[in-house]
Formats: sequence, C-alpha cells, structure tokens
Amino acid sequence: MSEPGLVLDGVSAAYRSSTVLHEVDLAVRRGELLVVLGPSGAGKSTVLRVVAGLEPVTTGRVLIAGRDVTGDRPGRRNVSMVFQSYALFPHLSVAENIAFGLEVRDTPRAVARERARVAAESVGCAALLDRRPGQLSGGERQRVALARALVREPDVFLLDEPLSNLDLALRVEMRAELRALHDRVGATVVHVTHDQTEALVLADRIAVLRDGRIEQVGTPDEIWRAPASSFVARFVGSPAMNLLPADGPVRPAGNPPPGAPVTETGRLDLGFRPEAVTVAGADAEGTPATVDRVDVVGEDAYAYLRLAGGEPVVARVPAARRPDRGAAVRIAVRWADVHVFHAGSGRRYSP
Amino acid sequence: MTRPDTRSRRQLALMLAPYLVGLVALVLLPAVVTLALAFTEYDLLRPPTWVGLDNFTALVDDPVFRVSLTNSLVFGLVAVPLRVLLALGLALLLHRRALGVGSARSAAVLPTAVPEIAYGLLWLWLLNPLYGPINQLLRTGGENGLTALGRTPPQWLTDPTDARAAIILMSLFTMGETFVVLLAARRALPRDVYEMAALEDATGWDVFRRITLPLMAPVLALLAVRDLIQSLHFSFVPAFVVTDGGPPPYATTYLSLFVYRNAFEYLRYGYAAAVTLVMILLTVAAVLVQWRLVRRYRAFYGV
Amino acid sequence: MRPKALLALLLSAVLLTTGCGSGSGSSADGPVRLLVFGAPEELAAYRTLIEAYEKARPGADVQLVEASDRKDLLARLATSVAGGAPPDLFLMNYRFYGQFAAKDVVEPLDDRIAASDAVDPADYYPVAMDAFKWNGKQLCLPQNVSSLAVYYNRTLFQKYGVPEPKPGWTWNDLVGTATAMTRDARGVVVKATESEGAALRPAVHGLGVEPSIIRLAPFVWSNGGEIVDDPARPTRLTLDTPAAREALKNLVDLRLAYGVVPTDEEVEAEDDESRFANGRLAMLMSSRRSTTTFRSITDFEWDVAPLPVYKEQVGVLHSDAYCMTRGAKRKDAAWRFLEFAIAEEGQRIIAATGRTVPSHVAVSQSPAFLGPAQPPRSAKVFLDAIPTVRALPTVSTWPEIEDVTYGILENAMHRGDRLDDVIRDLDQQTRPLFARGEHG
Repeated sequence: MSEPGLVLDGVSAAYRSSTVLHEVDLAVRRGELLVVLGPSGAGKSTVLRVVAGLEPVTTGRVLIAGRDVTGDRPGRRNVSMVFQSYALFPHLSVAENIAFGLEVRDTPRAVARERARVAAESVGCAALLDRRPGQLSGGERQRVALARALVREPDVFLLDEPLSNLDLALRVEMRAELRALHDRVGATVVHVTHDQTEALVLADRIAVLRDGRIEQVGTPDEIWRAPASSFVARFVGSPAMNLLPADGPVRPAGNPPPGAPVTETGRLDLGFRPEAVTVAGADAEGTPATVDRVDVVGEDAYAYLRLAGGEPVVARVPAARRPDRGAAVRIAVRWADVHVFHAGSGRRYSP
Repeated sequence: MTRPDTRSRRQLALMLAPYLVGLVALVLLPAVVTLALAFTEYDLLRPPTWVGLDNFTALVDDPVFRVSLTNSLVFGLVAVPLRVLLALGLALLLHRRALGVGSARSAAVLPTAVPEIAYGLLWLWLLNPLYGPINQLLRTGGENGLTALGRTPPQWLTDPTDARAAIILMSLFTMGETFVVLLAARRALPRDVYEMAALEDATGWDVFRRITLPLMAPVLALLAVRDLIQSLHFSFVPAFVVTDGGPPPYATTYLSLFVYRNAFEYLRYGYAAAVTLVMILLTVAAVLVQWRLVRRYRAFYGV
Repeated sequence: MRPKALLALLLSAVLLTTGCGSGSGSSADGPVRLLVFGAPEELAAYRTLIEAYEKARPGADVQLVEASDRKDLLARLATSVAGGAPPDLFLMNYRFYGQFAAKDVVEPLDDRIAASDAVDPADYYPVAMDAFKWNGKQLCLPQNVSSLAVYYNRTLFQKYGVPEPKPGWTWNDLVGTATAMTRDARGVVVKATESEGAALRPAVHGLGVEPSIIRLAPFVWSNGGEIVDDPARPTRLTLDTPAAREALKNLVDLRLAYGVVPTDEEVEAEDDESRFANGRLAMLMSSRRSTTTFRSITDFEWDVAPLPVYKEQVGVLHSDAYCMTRGAKRKDAAWRFLEFAIAEEGQRIIAATGRTVPSHVAVSQSPAFLGPAQPPRSAKVFLDAIPTVRALPTVSTWPEIEDVTYGILENAMHRGDRLDDVIRDLDQQTRPLFARGEHG
C-alpha cells in the first residue's frame, strides 16, 4: 500500500472496563475516502475518537501520515472532525466558528477570516458568515461544520455520522456534495455511518465493523458481490440477504461451486439476495412457498414468503406481476447468485 | 373557551392559591405597610403620624445613611464579583469526576449551611487580632508580632479598611449556592464542544476565554445580579455580630444594619421604613438590569 | 466586647412575627413576665430572686424572659409593645428608659406606692428614685444604685510593691499608679505607646477604661465642668469648656501619652473584663455590675477603690429599675412581685448575689451587702460614693447619643484624632439627636 494516510495497528480501546475495540488493523491510503460501516454499538465512533486522540488506546499504535501519534494530544495530531451534533460554538458567528482553529493557533485575524470565507464558499455557506448557529437550519449547520473541518488542511478528516441528522432529501443531496468535495479536495477521509446506502455511494473503500472487530474491508463492489461473512452479507443490502441452511428446502439450479459439500448437514449456509429469487405460479418448478405480505415500492415489490418448514424468504418482483397475499407460489434461485457461508463462523466459504 | 380549558384553569388556580395567599399575607402586605410607614413618623410605641416626605429629606441630610449606602454599594461591587469568581473557579475545578471531588464539593458548600450567627461568631474568633488563627498564621516567621515581611498583620476589627476586607472575606465562603448553580451549568455544557476545542489544540486559557466563559456568561450575569440583590441582606449578620457596624464611626455599617438600628434600637421605625424603601428601589433597579440581560441573551442566541 | 448571643436576631424576628399577631402572648392568667438581660451570673441572681418569691407566695408565677444584651432588650421591648403583647415588667437602666417613658409605655406607680405597706419611698436612696421620675411621676422603682469604682488586682499590686489606690486619690495618682503597673512579661515597667516603631505589648496593663461618655462624665464633673448645657432639658454637649476639655484630654492620654490602657486591637482580642479576670489588667474602671463576674476569680485577690478626684469627689449614677408596662395584662400580680423585689427581703436576696448595690438604704448598710464573706472587702466604697453621684440627663434619644459619642471617643483614644475635631464632632453630631429628644 503506497502512502498510508492513516494506519491503525492492532488498536484496542476500552470504555470503563469493557473493551470496545479489539486489535483493529486498518490502513487508509492518502486521499482515500474510507467509510466505517456498522450497526449501533459496533465501535464506529470509537475508531474516530481513537484516531482523534479523544479516547486513549489500550494497545496498538495510531499513525497519521507516517507519524506515530499514539501518545500525542488531540491538538497535535492535525486531524479535523465533524461531529454528529456538529459541535458548533453557539456564542460565535459562523465566520468565528470556522476561523476558531486558526485563531487559537495564532493565525492573524485577517488571514483567518479570509480563509474562513474561502472554506465557507467551498461548501456553499458563504452567505451565512455573520449568522449564529442558533439561526441556522440543520443543513446549514452541517455545511458550517464541514467548512470548519476544511479550513485548516488537516492530514485526516474524521466525519462522525455527519448526515444522520438531516432529512432524507437533504441527506441525498449532501451525500453527493460530500463526494464531490472529496474528489475536489482529495483529502484522506474517514467517514462513519450506519447507513449502508451512504457507505456504498460515498466510499472508496468500506470497513465493516461488528462488535469492535473489523469484519471486512473492501471496495463497495467487493462488499456487495463478495461479502466476507454472512454478517456483512446481511448488513449490506435492503431487505437483507436471505440465509438458509445448505441442506434446506431450497436447491439452487445450475452447478454448485466446485467442492462445496452442499449436502453435508448443518455445515454451510446459502445466502441469496431478494433480487436473485424468481417467483412463479404454484404449478411451476421450485420450492413451494406461501405469500405472507407484499410491500410495493414504486416499480418494485418485495414479497415476504414462508417456506413449508416455516423459513422466511424475501423476493423482489416487478410490482405489476406481484403475487397476492396468501397465494401459493414456487421459488427458485441459481447457484450463480448464491453465496456460501460456514454456518458456525459465518465466514465465506471458499473451496 | 372549551370545558377542559376552564377546568384546567380552575385546577391551576387552586394549586397556586396557597402560594398566592402566603405571598400576599407574608410578603406583599408587609411590603405595602412598610411603604406606607416610610411616610410616617412611627416609634412602634405610639400610633404613626403622617409626615409626608420628611423622612426622605432627613435621609438626604443624614451622613450615617450616606455612609451606609456607600458601604453597601462598595461591598456589593467588591464582594459580588469576588464571590462569583471564587464560585466559578471552584466549579471549573470540581466539575469532573475524580478522587476526592465529592468531598471537595461538599466542603465548598458547607459554610453556606452553617447558621449565619454561628458563622459570624466563628469568624469573630478567626479574626481575633492577637489570638485568632488567621493573624497567628500571618505572624509565623515574623518577630515582635509582625509578619515575616516585617509588617503589622491586618487589624481586622479595628482598622476601617481591614474590617471591610474582613466582612468581604467572610462573605466569600458562603458562595455555596452560586457554586452549586455554576457546577450544574458547567456540567450542562455540551461535551463535544470541548472535544472540538481539544482537536483545535485550544489550551486551558483559550478554552476558558473563548468557550467556557462566553457559554456560562448568561448564568454568571444572572447570578451576579442575584448576588448583588442578596448582598444588601447578607452583609447584615457579619456587621451585626462581628464588627457591630464599626470600627468607628461607621466603617461597616451597611444599609441593613442601619435599618435594624433605627427600627429596633432607636425606635425610628418610619425612618427605617424609608431606608427599606430605598433598598427596595435598589433591588428593583437590579431586577430591571437582570431582565435586560435575559432579553439580550435571548436575542443573541435566537432562543 | 460583644458576646452577642445567637438569640438576639432570632428572637427579635420571632417577636416581630408573633407580636404582630393577636396579643394572646400573655393572657390574664398566665405568669408575670419579667424582661431582663445580663451576664449568666446576673441572670442566675434574678432566678434566685424569683424562686424566693414563688416560695414566699405560693401560687405566684413569674417567668424570666432573658434578652442577650441591652440592645436586644430594647428591641424586644419595643416590638412586643407594638405587637400588643408586652412583658409585664422589665428591668432597665435610667439612661435608656427615657424613650419608653416619653412614649407613655410605662405605667406610673405613684398610686400603688401610696397604697403599699411594703414600699416606702423614704427607705430608698433619693438619687436613684429621682432618676426614674418623669414629669413628676414615679415611673419605675430602682433596685440598685451604684457608681463607678476602680477594681484592682491586689495580688499584682503587692507583687510589684506599688501602693494600692486609696480614697481621695487624684487623677495624677491614677496615671502614676497605672504607669507603674504596666509591665512586660519580666515584670519590668514598660511604656506601651506607638511613638518609636512597633508598640511594645505589655503583659500587664495598668488600667482598663472604655472611652465612653458615661466614663468621662464623672471626671468632667469632678473638674468643675458639665457635659450638657441643661441637665433637665439638654440641647447640646458642653465638652468644649476648659474643665471638660482637660478631663477628656487626660482620658485619651491614658492611651496616647502613657500607653497604660490596652490598644483597641488588644481590647478586640480580649475585652477589659476578661483581661482583668485573667490577671493581666491591674485596674479596671467599672460599675458594680462586674462584681458578680469577678467573684468567680480564684487566682488572685481583688478589691475596689473610689474614683480618683480632680477637684471634688463626684460619681456617676448607675441604676436599674423595675418598670411596669402600661399594656401589662397582669398588673396586680406584677406589682406584688415588684413590691417583693424592691422591699427589704428581695433586696437582701439580690444583694447576696453580689449583683447590686441595694437601693434600699437599710439593706445596703446591712451585712447582706457589706458582709466580708465575699469580695470586695471594701464594699463600702460603693456606699460612700452614693452621696456624690450625679445622674446623666434622661432624654429619649440617649441611646443614640451614647452610640454616636462612643464611636467618636473610641477614635479619639485609639486613633488619636485631634482633640478640637473630637469636641467639634461630638457637639455637631449630637445636636440633632438632642433636638429630636423628648424630656421628662
């Protein structure tokens, strides 16, 4: 890996007596936008706080731009952070908020204000410079927080769920702007979110975190197409991937992956996304199922099915040809669309 | 108006009634009576006689009143900032969790819980010019009853300036309530703002000057005004118990002591009522300042 | 100087609130309430008296109401009168009863005295009786009559071989004696003035005297001066006469020129009475009041001497009397107790406690007062002074006048204010008070 912007080397962290990060290894390339994705309580924010120096590590090292900063105080690490709450200073104007970091570092006032204006322009909030945080909308605050992070040209940007407080439309818009901004500035960014769509759209690479451990690091494509575990597979994608025992009722069509002992009892699970399921009438080939519920989302519909043994399966069907509730149907999947996981560990099966 | 509205109003009135009755009977009526007595000559023993503004013209000419007024104002202007600063310092020192912080907080509040007169008598002992622990301490290392620097220790009870300082010193340690409010205010400040500051490498002084102080300023201002109003009253017991209004002639005679003496020792109740009226006017002025502060605070933060 | 008891404030507040309610505090069948103040030893004396009374008159019930000090007593009396629930009886010095007398709060006793078998005005020292007459009426009946005396520590005098004060001694004798008794820890005579750098702190001071108008007055009189222009209807202080000025200068010189009295700092640290009781004051100018306290002294022997003289022997009257409030609920019962307290038996009892010089002539000359069982040996000094005592003017604003003059005189003695300024301030600041005052 060339030019590491940020490296976590076997980092553990604890809150009170419980360990929240377990020997995390993570490397972020310079100029890369890495998204840390995971459910609540997975330790995503702790990753950021450890990098920022707001939480101490119990073991391991943190390197920023090649420097070991493990023992440095936050202010010496040259990182910028956007908090979920934005953490704007309520008593300072927007301009003063943005210039704060420069002014406490003794940048001349005029210079600081000019750079604050430039930063504000780059995120489109130049018109707000004289307002106070109390007079801003959520989106405007978000821009100010971003401008404040941008103004100082840090080695790493840390974004802690910056979009989670925005409504959906604004979130989509800001998401695009964030990506564009990153492409323009080319900074090293670690972005934390629990929103898998946001992760897939924004990220150069995604690190999926579960219970303080890295589950998988990869490009959005890798995460989507080759989830390293059943956890990743089910966390990314909505509705979540179907997961059934390999010796269960569903027998995929076509050739199984080479060497997969698919019939061996309880050893493996099969995973397939809702869009991989074909639903046909009761007289067709396939596994019988009944329709519990159908959710229509515009052109698409998601059919929540139940197999004879009670196992739930979700299938995506065109809304125009959706089955009725209570109808008896047959479902089929192809081996090409199936992911195989070890049932016990959840790790991806590889021959 | 709909029915439930009427009912909830009636309930509200019912719940407020005991307080309102108490307020009217125990505060407002006596206040009105005092206001009325301010325009009479009344010695508690014979019925009051109407004298119009005589009491107030007498006040203007009364040097003791002028001294008391000045003393009260100076006391407020010196003691109040010091009290608030001390409380702020302690609150900032003790707002974190750490070993012994709980005990330290209790210790800071403790003097406020001591009954006022007992507190006064305690200080009478502490301030004893020859045998009191404070001057004993100041004299350590010195010779012939002088301090180590070769100066005479403060004459707490006999020198006018030292006595005023002593009263202020006494009053400093009873800032427990202010301390508790500031402690709560500091703990209510958002944590991420401080983390933000840490990321920007703001040092202790910068954090205090640029963040803590401005964020707590509204609370500090309100507490200062409140303390100023209170200072008209809490200067009474120390002056009464410790210095008896002296050293002569009137170094620590504050308005409250002036009122007490005239009303109950010299039986000039009407005259004392006039001074009370002046104190009420001062209080009203302070409350107006407080209102303005609140309004400006609201406008400023767009609350 | 001010052992200001905790109760002072609390009780006046309570009295205010309760007093403002109905006058149910003393219904007609409650106890007779007697309001007094004093040191613990003095209060014990009054309790002894009440016990004796209740034993002598079964069924009688007298309740002692204790104020913490003089000012507290005034405040409580005034607020309880205003509240309509005054005590039936109170004990008060003639210097302070004027404001109550002038305001018609005190019940005249002439009719009751005339009808009484137990009280004959001729039995009492006239100077004390006269002090409590207001517009010709006898308002209160004095329980004691006293002058200032000089208490001295005999043991110390003998130790240093200094002659003890004796009747007829002069002011110069006083200064000489006090100077000779002002000693450091090694027993060497020292001069404790602040002229050369830091003041020396004597281990023993020669004299304790408070710089007040009531301590000054007898010396002004003795020197042929007056303290007010008209004792009956005073309008101003007359300390600007040469005789008064000399007496005042000599008084402040005790501190300023001779350093024989403790500094204000030392007085604040330890008041004169404690200093005397602790054996560190050779002489103390005080009234009979101090005797009760000093009787608990065991470390040394003490006695009293008359006041020193300028031109003629003059004393200043100290006298407390029982007064009945006009609003008292149980006047007859109160009078019966008053009769007992004032008449021979009651005076004997209270004399035995040492608190008073009895106002009853016969009792004062009996062994109950003069008996040698307890100090002072020369108790007769108090009696000998009675023919020479003069009363201070009774004017309703006298408490204010004492407070104002005390502040000025304290600064004169301890801060060394210029005598001309002192005399001018005394005059200027008391004139309005005299003008506001009402006279008997």
